[in-house]
Formats: sequence, structure tokens, C-alpha cells
Amino acid sequence: MRRARRRASPTPSTSGRSDALIEGTLYDGTTGHPHGVRVATDGGRLDLRQDGGWSDSVDAALLKRVEGPGLRLGRIDRPGWRLLLPAQAEAELGTLVGSHERYGRWIDRIGLVPALVSGAIITAAVVGVGYLAPAWIAPHVPMSWERNVGGAIVGDFGKMRCRNAAGQRALEALVERVAPGATKGPNGIKVAALDVPVFNAAALPGGYIVVFKPAITETNPEALAGVLAHEVAHVRRRHVTEALIRELGVGALIRMFAGNIGANAEQIVSLSYTRQNEAQADSDAIAMLKRADISPKPTAALFARLSKEAPEFSAAFLNSHPSSSSRAAKFSVSFDPQAHYQQALDRDQADALFDICRKAPQ
Amino acid sequence: MDAYTSAAAGDRSIRFTGSWRDYLPIAATNALLILCTLGVYRFWAAARQRRYLWSHTEFIDDALEWTGSGREMFFGFLIVVAVLAPFFLFIQFLFPALIARGKADAAFGIVFLFEIALIYLGGFARFRALRYRLSRTYWHGIRGGSDDPGWNYGGEYLGRIALASMSMFIVYPWAATRLWSSRWSAMSFGQLPFRARLTADGLKARWALVYLVPIGAAAVGAILFLGILGLGKHHIGAGPMAGLGVAFLGIVLLFYVGIPLMTLNWYAAYYRKAIGSTTLGDLEFAFDATTMEWLGLFLGNLGLAVVTLGFGITYWGYRNWAFMVRHLHVYGNIDLSDLTQSTTHAPREAEGFADAFDVGAI
Repeated sequence: MRRARRRASPTPSTSGRSDALIEGTLYDGTTGHPHGVRVATDGGRLDLRQDGGWSDSVDAALLKRVEGPGLRLGRIDRPGWRLLLPAQAEAELGTLVGSHERYGRWIDRIGLVPALVSGAIITAAVVGVGYLAPAWIAPHVPMSWERNVGGAIVGDFGKMRCRNAAGQRALEALVERVAPGATKGPNGIKVAALDVPVFNAAALPGGYIVVFKPAITETNPEALAGVLAHEVAHVRRRHVTEALIRELGVGALIRMFAGNIGANAEQIVSLSYTRQNEAQADSDAIAMLKRADISPKPTAALFARLSKEAPEFSAAFLNSHPSSSSRAAKFSVSFDPQAHYQQALDRDQADALFDICRKAPQ
Repeated sequence: MDAYTSAAAGDRSIRFTGSWRDYLPIAATNALLILCTLGVYRFWAAARQRRYLWSHTEFIDDALEWTGSGREMFFGFLIVVAVLAPFFLFIQFLFPALIARGKADAAFGIVFLFEIALIYLGGFARFRALRYRLSRTYWHGIRGGSDDPGWNYGGEYLGRIALASMSMFIVYPWAATRLWSSRWSAMSFGQLPFRARLTADGLKARWALVYLVPIGAAAVGAILFLGILGLGKHHIGAGPMAGLGVAFLGIVLLFYVGIPLMTLNWYAAYYRKAIGSTTLGDLEFAFDATTMEWLGLFLGNLGLAVVTLGFGITYWGYRNWAFMVRHLHVYGNIDLSDLTQSTTHAPREAEGFADAFDVGAI
């Protein structure tokens, strides 16, 4: 970069020199004092002169336009250096200093309309991939990875967990009833009852299924079988993994650029499934109930009841799920009057399950 | 010889010369580009908006100038995200992991510490944003800034907000006014220091109203409620019942309309006093927006957004700036030969912190 020279006298006339002098104001960037100057072009340079004999010559490559009234020029090598000229100077000097930055350099380079079009295409692609990618990736995540992540997040539930041994056996038996073999093997589903006074059940990363106490004590084994079958389907279809990827990957990225990560940081990982995932889990659950000879009616009745209850009570369970009444209808329709439905658990198991959160006598 | 007298002969020394029609192409293309880039363009949009607003704000004989760029704001944002993201991710995993292990106390303890860190960073961010904006604001080729990095201000902010919250925000006027003084007294323009000597005098009554109106409403409501309980033993006619209904409606309205109005009433006085007690060299400032004028601004913003189906939001920045400039007065002299260039450092992260925590600058 060439520095502007200070000269005692004006430059001798050379080719391309304009004799028209334009009156302007110069701020030197050192003090706020305005200097009256006369400006002329000299080839690729700008000549500045003052009455007192001071003069300067600036390489046009060092000049940049600055937004403001009239024609305003700055220098890329001297912050605060400003030359203020009347708007008419545009005719004389406009070509020398190039054009204004309009939308930002990266957009000016390609033009507004191409930028909008390519931006829209990229945005659509990012949103599309962001929406689909978790479903593509999830089946390929090794179960052992998910077990590690899930184990780190979930742990042993501490004091919240209901530890009645007979109750735990009954709960596992209920899972086995709708999904034979599901709790066996290294990737077996680990089911736990939590002593939390909210009606809820959830599948967590790493093959964990948790059922909150009211979902056990305020229903019957058949309805709980439907709920558990739904959660087993989420685990088997890798919906949990999918939700985890969506939440931590794409979701975080989009929220970051949407601004205000501070407020978002306070939201903890709240896994939510897509509506398709929910519908698929419901269909799977209905098939599992059918295979287990368990009537879908109690599950339908449970959803029908939840849809009538105060929204704040059922919100936790219903959040992001399809509406309870439509789910109730779906389960209800699958009822086969010819079928010989059986109980989900025998009497002793059902009693043990009901007491799962009762503390064992010391 | 070089002294400029501000506000000569009733002329306004600071004027906004923009028009909404001129600004329309900027607003429209900004909105389009933000939409088409998943929000990434918002940094360049902010730079364009400010270039327009600053260059249409004249102080005495020349316009202000915004020299910040979208690029630097974008990189500033990325720097802050790179610093904070690992921290946020860690918390995102840690919180559910602790909850799942039944260590709710530890989980909420960590969230509490996290909240404290967020308050500190919120104060820090506000300081840095003000410093950045001054460092990119030029007038007569001179810019502002601060040599204070703002770490201490973050601490002061945390301390005063903690104290205020311990008093249920009864002492908030003291906290807010001291913080204004600390923040602005650390800033400078050229070599001229800003000085702010803001105290809570004259503001306490308005803050008390913010408190007393809801408390009063609650008290009246309680009396009415007890009255009904008392009357319940006797037969109540339809007339008094309707009267009570109207009274309750009034109380609800008082909460939803009264509290925001009282808060606005406080902020109007706060800004008048705050700006009035701030000086720059020999320059004094005044601000004359009344509560009703603030209300007009907010309702106008809201109405504009509703009528234009959301597009009007792109005019909020314009309207807010125009409002501030139109109500701002500057008095006194400024000696331009004495107004020498600022030697302060400009923050590299631009408004990254303020952006991440969604706080304003003023």
C-alpha cells in the first residue's frame, strides 16, 4: 500500500489532469477541525490544496466511499480521514473511487437477485437436510454408543426410582408381554418406575424407558401395556437417537443463528419426536397389543380420559403427541370383537406393580 | 476560534433527516436477505440499517457516521459462540444427567451458578456493546470508545442486580442509576470523557408506583373476595354480583395494563434523568420524551407490525432511533481543534456478547 505524500507545492500538470477545482471539507482524522480544501483529479490520484499553500496527493486506490450527505470519501489507511464534497462532484470523481458497498461485499459480488435465489436454495437444502438427516443417521448409530450417552445422561435415577423388587419384576414382565425378549441381551430395554407425581412415560437415550408413578397407579395393566408398547416402539425404531441428533445437532445450529443462545441455553435437552414417529409408534403398539392378545380398549380409554382432563395436567404427556382423542380413536378401531383378549398381568403381578413405589418395610 | 455552539437560536443541534420512504428499500432487502440466509445476514442488515440511521443524523454541521461492518459483527458473534458453546453444551448434558441420578439439589445448584454467570455476562455484554458502538461512531472524523474492558462493570452489574433482587427489586432505582453512571463514565468521544452523575433522586416515587399499583390492586381484590365470602351466607341479588364482576375485571385490567404503564412511566423519567445527567466535555444533554410519547412509540411499533403482517418489524429499529434523536437535545460548546482522535481500543468481538444475550447497548 502506498502512503500519500505531503508536498510543498502542487503536482506539475500530467496527462489526465482535470483543472476543475471542487471545493470541499477535509477532516484529517487527528482533530475534529474542518479544513477547507480544493480538490482536483490527477490521473489515478486525488490532489488536495489549501489556501495556505498546503497540498496533498492521494492514490485513488486508497479511497473508499462513505455513506452520508453529498460525496464522502474516506481512506482505507487512515481511520477518521474524511473528504466531504458536494453531490455534484460525483460526475468528476465518481469513476475514480468506484462504487458504494450496498448489501455487503459478498452479496454485491453476485448481485441481489442471484444472492436471494441461491440463498433460498441453500436455506431450503439446509432445512431439508436438517429435517431428514436425523432419521437417516439414527439407524446407523451403533447401539453401544447410544448406551454410553444414555448411561451418562440417565444414570440410576437415585432416590426417584421405585425399587420394590416384585413390582420391578412385574413391570419387566409387562414389557416382555407386549415385546417378548425386549428386556434381554446387552441392548435390552431397561425399564424403571419413577416416584414423580406427573402422569408421564418416556423413552430415553440408551434404551431406557421410564414410567412415572401415576401412569402405574391411576391406570390398569392393559392401558399401561399400550403405553409401554408405544415407548418400546420408539426405542426399537431408534426414534430416541433421532431426536437426540435433531436436538443437539441441527436444532442447536439453527437456534444459534436465530440469536439469543443465552435464553435457549436454559432449556434442557427436551427430546421431542416428529408426528410421523409418534404415529408409527402408535401403529407398532397396536400391532404389539394384538400379538399379545391384549385388548386395545383400555389404552383407548386412557387417551380418551387424558384428552378430557385439564390441559396443564396432561400437557407433559400430550406435548408433541398427536391429539389424544384421535389416538384414542385409532386404538379403539383396532379392537376386534372376535378376539379372545387376555389380561396383561395376573392378579399377583398386577398387585405387585401397583405397589412398585411403596417402600419395603425396614 | 473553532468553538461550535450547539443549539444556537432555538435550532435543534441534533436532527434526524431520514424518511421512511428512503429507508424502505433497505428494510425490504434486509428482510428478504435475512429470510433467505437463515438469519446469517442479520449482521449485515444491522450494519446497513445503522449506516443509514447514523448518516441521517446530523449533529450541528455534519452527519454521524457508522463504520462498523456486518463482517466484523458476524465474526464477533462467532468468537463469542466459540467461547460459550462448549460451556452451554456441558450444562445441557450435566443438568439432565444429575436429575436422572436423583441429584436434583446439585442440578439446580449448578443451574443457579449458571444463572449468576449469565447475569454477569449480561452486564459485561451491555458494556461491551456500548463501547463497540461508540468506537464505530464517527463525527468530524473523530470516534468514541473506552479503554475499560468492562470486566469490572460485569462484576458491579452482578452485585447491584443481586442486591436489588434480594430486596425484591425495591432498591432497583439505585442499582439502575449507579450502573448507568458507571457505564457512561467509562466511555469517551475523541479525548473527551463522558461523565454521568445519575442518582435515584426524583425517580423513587415512580418506581414505588410500579410496586404500589399491583399491591393495591391485590389488596382491593382480596377485600372484594372476602366480602363475597361474607355475603355468601346471605342471598345476593344480581345487581351487586354484576358490580363485583366489573370490579374484578377492573383489577385484572389494572394488572395487565397498569403494570406495563407504570413501568413505562418509570422508564420515561429514568431516561430523561439519565441522559440529562450525562455530559461530554462541555456538552450537556437533555431528553424530553414523556410516558405518553413512549407509549405512542410502542403502540405504533406494535400496530405497524400488525397492519403490515409482520413486515413492520423491520421498521422498529428505524422508529426507535428516530424517536431517540427527536427527543434528544444537546447544549454547550465543542472546540473542534481540541477534539482530538480517540486512542481507545475497539473491541474485536463487536457486539457478539450483546448479541448472544440479547441485550441492548444504551
